[in-house]
Amino acid sequence: MSAADFSIPVIETRRLILRGPEPEDYPDFKSTFTSYRARFMGGPLNAYEAWMLYAAEIGHWQIRGFGMWMIHDKKTDETYGMAGGWKPAKWPEAEIAWVIWPEAAGQGLALEATHAARKYFYKTGWDSAVSYIDPKNLDSIRLAERLGAVKDPDAASVDGNDVVYRHPSPAALNDTQLAHGIDMEISHYADPLFKPKGYAID
Amino acid sequence: MLIPTLTTERLILRAPEARDIAPFAEFYASDRARFVGGPLTAEGSWRMLAMEIGHWTLKGFGRWIAETKDTGEAVGLIGLFEPEGWPEPEIGWDLFNGFEGKGYATEAGQAARSYAYDILGWPTAISLVKPGNDGSAAVATRLGAYADGSITHERHGPMQVYRHPAPVELADGGIEAYS
Repeated sequence: MSAADFSIPVIETRRLILRGPEPEDYPDFKSTFTSYRARFMGGPLNAYEAWMLYAAEIGHWQIRGFGMWMIHDKKTDETYGMAGGWKPAKWPEAEIAWVIWPEAAGQGLALEATHAARKYFYKTGWDSAVSYIDPKNLDSIRLAERLGAVKDPDAASVDGNDVVYRHPSPAALNDTQLAHGIDMEISHYADPLFKPKGYAID
Repeated sequence: MLIPTLTTERLILRAPEARDIAPFAEFYASDRARFVGGPLTAEGSWRMLAMEIGHWTLKGFGRWIAETKDTGEAVGLIGLFEPEGWPEPEIGWDLFNGFEGKGYATEAGQAARSYAYDILGWPTAISLVKPGNDGSAAVATRLGAYADGSITHERHGPMQVYRHPAPVELADGGIEAYS
């Protein structure tokens, strides 16, 4: 992959548009990654570290050919978080990762973005994916489960402090009950008549 | 973004790429990297290489991998650097192991500075040198830069500021006195 012919793909979903991280989105990224919200993602970071990480998110695309997208509202272009693939040097396998800004949680946006990102990776050649999750990050574990991922106790973790969730295979998402269930949950979130009950989840 | 390529007498300055990780990680894992934020783990080096690429997208400038024209070997990471919280736009040079003492940092640093002044229109530039990094200080001096105070960075600690001659001073042929 050379610099000259590489550009980050764009994905559209019902409510969202996923684009590569852009310079003008950095303040939104910084705000979450320098906050307590980032405690399960190696944070909170100081401003210098947050900038370095944001730049690395962009370079990750160049080096691996895949990476994390910025999640935008299709209509307003507002950012809600990030979702995509992540595999820095130490990662045993390619990871599907997500982060949602605190104020955007509870609308199924991470589910919608991550489901679309996974679909894209499976379509472009991935045959497997995991998510490395801090065992105390219950919102993320819930999201992994809603995406059909299950704990894989035999898989190598990043550093022993994370739990590995294995995503369903491409075949398990091909016109299956699981895939229809995820689509239905997303469509319920997108439907203004749908009012979720109970605790807000990503 | 499209990262420009520069050519000097002996070097080509080009975009950092995935294939650069080996010499990059070897340098940043070594004791020689103690003046530039190292030593780093393999994971840290990988993220730093990714950061160097993203720096170009975020700032519109960044650091190049300098490779020799004749062998294509990567000799260092040299160019323009200004992450968040940096005191001013900087011209930096990290020579990979085994490529010191050949004038490569001076040669590439001069090309990077010309790019900053002529293409980007920078009115001035600094280079930051950690105390004890005599090799780097000598490069700054050879480029005509002079000591201009010091700063303390939250991650890198105390650093000496070298200020480069302004574009107009170089246009006067001032650099010739140092080369």
